[in-house]
Amino acid sequence: MDFDFSVITDHLSFLGSGIAITLLLSVLSGTTSLIAGFFVALFRLYGPRWLKPLVVLYIDSMRAIPVLVVLVWTFFALPIIAGVTMSPFMAALIGLTVHLAAYAAEIVRAGVESVRPGQSRAALALGMSRAQIVRRIVMPQALVRMLPAFGSLLSITIKDTAIASVIAVLELMRQSETLAGQSFQPIEVFSFAMLVYFLMLFPVTRGVDMFYRRVAHLGRS
Amino acid sequence: MTFDWSVVWQHRDALMAATGTTILLTFATMAIAVPCGIMVAALRLYAWKPVRALATSYVELFRNLPLILVVYWAFYVLPIMTGLGLSPLATGLAALVLNVTAYNAETFRAGINSIRRGQVEAAMALGMSRLQALRRVVLPQALRRIMPVLASTWVSLFKDTSLVSVIAVTELAYVAMQIRAQTFRVLEMLTAMAAIYWLLGYPQAKLVDWMQRRFAVTE
Repeated sequence: MDFDFSVITDHLSFLGSGIAITLLLSVLSGTTSLIAGFFVALFRLYGPRWLKPLVVLYIDSMRAIPVLVVLVWTFFALPIIAGVTMSPFMAALIGLTVHLAAYAAEIVRAGVESVRPGQSRAALALGMSRAQIVRRIVMPQALVRMLPAFGSLLSITIKDTAIASVIAVLELMRQSETLAGQSFQPIEVFSFAMLVYFLMLFPVTRGVDMFYRRVAHLGRS
Repeated sequence: MTFDWSVVWQHRDALMAATGTTILLTFATMAIAVPCGIMVAALRLYAWKPVRALATSYVELFRNLPLILVVYWAFYVLPIMTGLGLSPLATGLAALVLNVTAYNAETFRAGINSIRRGQVEAAMALGMSRLQALRRVVLPQALRRIMPVLASTWVSLFKDTSLVSVIAVTELAYVAMQIRAQTFRVLEMLTAMAAIYWLLGYPQAKLVDWMQRRFAVTE
């Protein structure tokens, strides 16, 4: 077997545009799902009573349905109900956010619940309001404790963007598959894609872990 | 907008068979990936240094790759490398096993490492051999801690089997999308697909929650 990696160098801009879309989709869906997850968790923890079962149903449903199904449904079925057309990128962003926000919400909830209730009671006794307690007592500790889980969520996000290739988002996975099919050199192309994904993902998990070790003392109580 | 849900009922046999394949894939993958995971974890912990490094590289590589890429890779590259004409099902199974083994190996390693060293030392002070200490002191406790993690890997795996649809394995996602393409009942079929996954996955997710409470670590 001999390898000819010129197929990579000849199509660098083609693959590069895929990498750019993968990064863009990862950053955008990572951010939106984080924000959405925060709100979902706050609704679950502090929201009105009637809302809680709905929030739990949403979170557990997302844990039960594959991302692929969410993405395909968002891209092909949602426009039929909603009567709007969406670009694949938009559909992927919405689908990934809806899916990952549930996971983010669980992380936030676990972080908040890890702060001993005695602290909230003590703060109440000192005359703080609910909002003050969340902002000044619970969140500063909980946020630090959530860091490692958010790190792995970010790496899951990057991995899940590869599934958007199924709804024709022209990200790295899709471009690699196209190029592999056209050039008949799948070994070279997929090896390159593997290398790129590894280089994107490995520093994320390691970086977050290292950052956490530096700030972990802030989360102790 | 008119919907025709009878299309789902008409294709119930195909959907049932496909659901069967999804479940079969989940069981088969886990059945292979648990022993393989234990083996890789053991290599990482106790083997000769170069072998240890190799096992670590394997685990780190596959934990940091999107599964869908591994599936495509297995589909295109495995036949060239091995010279075998594998069926899509076998290829999908291989990709899933490669992925889940890496996760399981990490789980087992973490489980074994979570047992304080003092316990092994105490066991050896009582005259047990290292192997005895591992089998009778470390593993029984480690397995208890590992159960919830294995369960959530199981749920992830159940969902990830949908990814082998891209190489035409006739599991639930692939078959549902095929029927969608033939009948043009897009919304009905995709919703039915989501509903079937939900019906199967929801109890599993709840079971994981229960196991996490049941096997919570107390030392």
